[in-house]
Amino acid sequence: MSGGPLVAALAGNPVLAEHYAAFRASADAALDPAFVALTRQAVAAVHRMGPAPDESGLDEGTRTCLAYAHRMPFEHTAITDAEAAAVSAHLGEAGYVAFSVLTALADAECRAELVGLPELAGV
Amino acid sequence: MSTIPRVSSATPGEPAHFGSVLAHQPAIAEHFFALYGRFWGSDVLSARIKEVARMRNARVTQCGFCRNVRFDKAVAEGLREEAVGDIADGYETSARLSDAEKAALKFTDALIHDPDLLTGDARAALQRHLTPAQIAELGLGVTLFLALAKALITLGLEPEAMDRTVLPTPAVLEAAE
Repeated sequence: MSGGPLVAALAGNPVLAEHYAAFRASADAALDPAFVALTRQAVAAVHRMGPAPDESGLDEGTRTCLAYAHRMPFEHTAITDAEAAAVSAHLGEAGYVAFSVLTALADAECRAELVGLPELAGV
Repeated sequence: MSTIPRVSSATPGEPAHFGSVLAHQPAIAEHFFALYGRFWGSDVLSARIKEVARMRNARVTQCGFCRNVRFDKAVAEGLREEAVGDIADGYETSARLSDAEKAALKFTDALIHDPDLLTGDARAALQRHLTPAQIAELGLGVTLFLALAKALITLGLEPEAMDRTVLPTPAVLEAAE
């Protein structure tokens, strides 16, 4: 079972840990695994938790999505209708919904890691 | 910030709202609601403290929907509007919020805004007032509140106007087990 800092922090509560991991995995499973990894990397880079993804060789649609993901941590209220429409056009409506969950959760997980949640939870 | 849905409803006959939009991804919806119901059903951390953290997140992320919803379990645990009104900048001086709630609010601010807020005295206060298991559950809650609020906002699901609304606290539907 994998799931980032939340699953680690919830080690003492296997029921919540298992359900969190299942939720996280369901968002990941809705999109291409390589795209999920790029998105998580893009969000983590905004938090200075790693390098930004190498976008050379990526198609324009993927780059558009990564630019959107880049804005989620600190500029979520400034994302425009046009930016959202471009992502939705690339991923489709269902894909855009999954991508929204993925990017929002990736941002929150980075923040949980930065605040030291697993350590605070006694892990 | 758009108040026009950027995604259509996937539930016939229903307008676009969080549930009907998430229905585009049934597996995500199923796992989210199963998790969220169990989170609110757990009594490791009181519903009142969870709601205090949720209200703080709603203010900071500017989620109007989250801000106007109250969950009945927290209301039953004595969370009154006067105390909710104190969950603004300067909550540290509130006489209506407990020390444990103020420690939870500082943790919430650190997670959703600036991790440097949880150093020294603030970190010690959190660990004095909450057990590690309670902090883990609070961390789960704030993570979900933050992600949910940002998803709502970016999907254009913010209401133009909304009255304060007390809703049943999310619960696990046994029939779905």
